Amino acid sequence: MKRLLQLLSMAVLALTLSAPALAGEGGRTPLPSIPAAKGDQCVEDTAVMRRDHMKFLKHHRDATMHQGIRTEKYSLKACLECHAPVEGNMAAGGKEAEGHFCVNCHVYAGVTLDCFECHATKPETTAQFHPLVSPASAALKATDRTDSTVLLNRLVGVSENKAGVAHE
Amino acid sequence: MSDHKQPDLARREFLGRGAAAAGVALAPGVMLYGVADAKPADEPVSSKVRWGMLVDTSKCSSGCNACVDACNKEHGLGNETHSRDTQRTQYIRKVELRHKFTGATHSLPVMCQHCETPPCVDVCPTGASFKRADGIVLVDRHICIGCRYCMMACPYKARSFVHEALTEQRPHTPRGKGCVESCTMCVHRVDEGRQPACVEACAADGSHAIIFGDLNDPNSEIAQRVKTYASSEIRADLGLNTGVRYQGL
Repeated sequence: MKRLLQLLSMAVLALTLSAPALAGEGGRTPLPSIPAAKGDQCVEDTAVMRRDHMKFLKHHRDATMHQGIRTEKYSLKACLECHAPVEGNMAAGGKEAEGHFCVNCHVYAGVTLDCFECHATKPETTAQFHPLVSPASAALKATDRTDSTVLLNRLVGVSENKAGVAHE
Repeated sequence: MSDHKQPDLARREFLGRGAAAAGVALAPGVMLYGVADAKPADEPVSSKVRWGMLVDTSKCSSGCNACVDACNKEHGLGNETHSRDTQRTQYIRKVELRHKFTGATHSLPVMCQHCETPPCVDVCPTGASFKRADGIVLVDRHICIGCRYCMMACPYKARSFVHEALTEQRPHTPRGKGCVESCTMCVHRVDEGRQPACVEACAADGSHAIIFGDLNDPNSEIAQRVKTYASSEIRADLGLNTGVRYQGL
């Protein structure tokens, strides 16, 4: 039964993601809102990323943690660089939880996402540079980042919903 | 260079991004560039290197908390709201020692000592507590189950447990509820060829009490110093061969 549910949810996800035009804007089918990412091309084709992003991330996380390999490709930090920009409409509007690429899709698909219980939800790239190099970093640190609390609550909400579904 | 009084900021920014590592100001006008020492990002760490620290206790003054503050800031520590003070995470703390007979006092920072044979790694049931090839002892939070055996095993009381859900983490230091954590020797900085935050802060403060470097490299400052001057480990009787050593204890 669980497997069937999984398959079903995957099929629904694939359908809705690949054919948003099918349901259309303002249609009856609820769709996840996928914020536009920075840049033109992801590290792999979209289809590959949809299916295998978790494998790439898991492999890279072990290489980074245990061997100190810190290449940007497949790193969670690099994902957030493009998909959760520090500056821009997401941060400025304070709607991080609503506009978070990862969370939106995971909430929609009903798949628990554990990354952000520990990992930062936003990039902070400029902070690792000396202020002389990036004068913006000081300003960034001063910005309000309480939105991640909202996001965390939302993630917790996801797991509660999941438990509810399992009982039915 | 002398005719450039003001560095070209745009160019600096570009170079900084390209090299993924930038300079560290030791003092106004004095920059330390670690780019040359950084290993390529795609290369695994090697056991040819043994990172270590040497603390000169004669230069470490009582009441100075620069290293602790820098550490807390670097790793985004101290944002627990429900935990008691004794539960809050600390990667580094200042310890005051007084010899009962002579009355001699010492003030020294104590953090994870990055043992060669770490007891925390011995007792970890999941393999989450591990030592990197270059001698840095870490917790892999992806596999930590929060059993806290390592906290019991550590003779230096270096590890902390996160008791509550956290937000506002720094990107380079993921932290979360239910995991044990400790000093990482600023592994994210070391991999970029930079110095740990405490070392940098101590130097910026003018104390220069902590130096960081490769104990295996005979030409490094730290190797020279431990060769020339008497230094000791805390609880040397345990035979752990710590990476953090103290001079003047």
